[in-house]
Amino acid sequence: MKNPLKKLLSSKRKGKKPAVARKPRRGETLVRAEGIAKGFPGVWEHLILDHINFDVKAGEVHALLGENGAGKTVLANILSGFYSLTKGRIYVKGKPVSIKSPKDALELGIGMVHQEFTLARPLTVTENVALGLSTSNFSFPLSEVEKKLKELSERYGLKVDPKARIEELSAGEQQRVEILKVLYHEPEVLILDEPTSVLTEDEAKSLFSILRAMAKEGRGVVFITHKFEEVFESSDRVTVLRLGKLVGTMKTSKTNRRELVRMMMGGEISLPKKKPAKVGKIALEVKDLHVLGERGVPAVRGISLTVRKGEILGIAGIAGNGQSELVEAITGLREVTKGKVLIFGKDMTNRSPREIADMGMGHIPEERRRIGTAEGMTVAENFIMKDYRRSPFSNRSFLNLPFITQHSKKMISEHNILVPDLWVTETRILSGGNIQRLILARETWWEPRLIVATHPTYGLDLKAVKHTHELFLKLKKKGTATLLVSEDLEEIFSLSDRIAVIFEGKIVGTMDAAKARVHKIGLMMAGSKG
Amino acid sequence: MPRLFDAIREYLGTLKRSLAESLFALLIGLLIGAGLMLAFGYDPIMGYISMLKGFGIFTIEGFLAVLAIIALGLLLAAFIGAYWAKIPQALARLWRKKISGRSISLVAIVVFILFLISRMLEFLDNVELMEMLAYSVPLMLTAITFAVGMRAGIFNIGAEGQVYMGAVAAAWIGGHFALPTGLHLLAATAFAMLIGAAWALLPAILKIRAGVHEVISTIMLNWVAFFHVPYLIINRFAGVHAERTATILPTARYPILGASLTAVIFVALAACVVVYILLWRTRAGYELRLVGDNPDAARYAGINIRRAILISFIIGGMAAGLAGASQVIGRPLLGWTLPATLGTVFGLGFSGIGIAVIGRNHPIGGIFAALLFAGMLNGAKFMEYDWGISSELVVAIQGVIIIALAIPALLAMSRRGVRRLKIRRGPR
Repeated sequence: MKNPLKKLLSSKRKGKKPAVARKPRRGETLVRAEGIAKGFPGVWEHLILDHINFDVKAGEVHALLGENGAGKTVLANILSGFYSLTKGRIYVKGKPVSIKSPKDALELGIGMVHQEFTLARPLTVTENVALGLSTSNFSFPLSEVEKKLKELSERYGLKVDPKARIEELSAGEQQRVEILKVLYHEPEVLILDEPTSVLTEDEAKSLFSILRAMAKEGRGVVFITHKFEEVFESSDRVTVLRLGKLVGTMKTSKTNRRELVRMMMGGEISLPKKKPAKVGKIALEVKDLHVLGERGVPAVRGISLTVRKGEILGIAGIAGNGQSELVEAITGLREVTKGKVLIFGKDMTNRSPREIADMGMGHIPEERRRIGTAEGMTVAENFIMKDYRRSPFSNRSFLNLPFITQHSKKMISEHNILVPDLWVTETRILSGGNIQRLILARETWWEPRLIVATHPTYGLDLKAVKHTHELFLKLKKKGTATLLVSEDLEEIFSLSDRIAVIFEGKIVGTMDAAKARVHKIGLMMAGSKG
Repeated sequence: MPRLFDAIREYLGTLKRSLAESLFALLIGLLIGAGLMLAFGYDPIMGYISMLKGFGIFTIEGFLAVLAIIALGLLLAAFIGAYWAKIPQALARLWRKKISGRSISLVAIVVFILFLISRMLEFLDNVELMEMLAYSVPLMLTAITFAVGMRAGIFNIGAEGQVYMGAVAAAWIGGHFALPTGLHLLAATAFAMLIGAAWALLPAILKIRAGVHEVISTIMLNWVAFFHVPYLIINRFAGVHAERTATILPTARYPILGASLTAVIFVALAACVVVYILLWRTRAGYELRLVGDNPDAARYAGINIRRAILISFIIGGMAAGLAGASQVIGRPLLGWTLPATLGTVFGLGFSGIGIAVIGRNHPIGGIFAALLFAGMLNGAKFMEYDWGISSELVVAIQGVIIIALAIPALLAMSRRGVRRLKIRRGPR
């Protein structure tokens, strides 16, 4: 009973593999993308990818470097068929192709390993791989899959027990399963999105040696990263993206860290006219703060800082170095395990978000869709999230709808927010930029005494960025203390009076903005000591 | 006046999508039901005409009157939508005898529309309409239980047990205490709501204190109530018959309006409106909906999530308790008693889930969904009586129609769920 089925399956698979007719020569261009552009509904005016050229050669490891939001993942998703492209052409071995789905991409020999795991946790490794096979509609060719898995894992040293259930595996092992899942399809180009973000140092090292081995076989390997070490350790070529634009592609051996920092962060920073701060009393003081991250590992490891009235303190750092946890701890959203948070001299450690907000703090959160807005509710209802308890937004227990309407209309016109209908439009359909403006309006209209802002201009167009910067500087003049967290050095430099650099949960240096140099800050962000 | 026309257009515009979806779904459901009838050798058209009798519609005039009432109701809603801010002013002006042209015309239009509706209602003055309305009372209330839960992000399916508890509470006060006329009715109703809320409080506290999932706890408590209430009826509250509660005293009965419809329907409708106002016009309701839409954002806004969940359970429990009471002191069933078989209250809580979904988890939408459900329930007997369609088949047809009607809302709900998941896991 099993055999005929198996036969049927294997013959089917054979019929579907015309792409790998001949082995590619070393150095041959496997995939070439020309003029790739990508916009998303609601933000068509703002291209996520702006006419990018990109190519992968057989036998190379190619690093795709850029900050968050530079468009690396979007590019990878387009090549592997998860996103459609708005403009541009893709060639596989010189032939123009159209990639409409991940299945198309796999058949053309392009496979992608995502940053987030896409495994069914209660199933075994073999079952997970079998799940992805297009022929396994009515049966699981498990023994066949297992055999091939064993062969593959031996060939590349990807040690995984095919019979183990996913939930028993560590993050590193799970990632190996993800890679095996793609390798099962024998791709010629393998793309990995931030593969080391969940790995320990040793696991990362062994991963890169595996990637090297694959390249040696004549495959093209692309990995996405924002870490410079990884680029220099393991890549042959590197492509740098910045804000959706291609900055350049070059041989890794012919560049250096300083050049890459400049390319990634943008070299030409023009300092706007910001007036020196007239600082007052201490508004926010953080003493030896320790906070655990999402996975229970220490994320903030002994940070101390102060922000005074009328001063903007910029925290520069690459995402994932503890700044999110720092902000959440200050605003009461995350538990402080050790240390103190003082707001206007009052100990507010581990108080509720409401108590902390009532001290006069505005908070512009990093994840605007996840915590900054309630997407199923109307725009007007999102405008009053922080104020609905106050009169005249509500009187006694009842909401004051006419006043809320009037207030929201004022916010909309002051901040140029595009809203079809205040009381009908669900916030979910607003574009990211409009949502950000909504949050900015909500958190700053009452001129708070203290603002904690993370990436306040992320996703905004230039005009809105200018408007936002002016807003922050105006508030500063009025004596507001601001803690500004951003990966965007340009923003940090144009707003901050002092700059602190965060790396691996610690402040590795604090300096006067006037005396700081961009490249030095960039190097510190990447882990070099002062 | 141009403003009124704009408002009508806008109002119909916002309704258009969900209305069109529901009508399309209804059509599909009716078609499948017709297929079922055909398959078993019945005439679907005659079957559905019999079902319409359950809605109190026996003639073409009656049918047209129903359509006209719906149209006028929509018009009235649009009118109120356009001028709702001005109506109190206009009334106040009239009160102060500062009569202006506008205030007179406003009030005159409202009065005229109400008058038209009342004239239409005369057309429909019949027993089956009353019966349909009587059926709808507990259903719109149990729909509130589920809808308020969903609005707070809670899957409260405990209405069934809360209905039993409310019913037996009303039977106890109504049958065993001698109180003055108005007070007795009030006490029985209030006590039923209180006990319903108390029964809902158990899963609420378990959820808030220990993180017990509400689906588990409410299902278990449904069973506890299912066995506990018959025990109470037989051993504590039985009257002349051993398996029924004592007859409700006349002082605790809602006055009968016609057929088995009593004035309890006004209480039920008021409850729906009160819940609507509570959810969309008050701070507590705003907090509750924010928690349901995005708990992370609610925390960020400084909302006490536990309190919001507690409030949603309490509102739901009170509504379910009232639903139970409506079947004992608000409807002359089995001579104003509650049987130990629970036959008169069985299934109301679970039906409420489907009705809430069809009504898009909105207390006002729930009224219409409950009316539809009640009409079909009431029409079942005619389908069997007129054409001998077996009652099992009738139930199947009703089920198909209900499922079809629920699909658009279910799809919207699952889309929402997927969206939230995506946001949680999604790109940084």
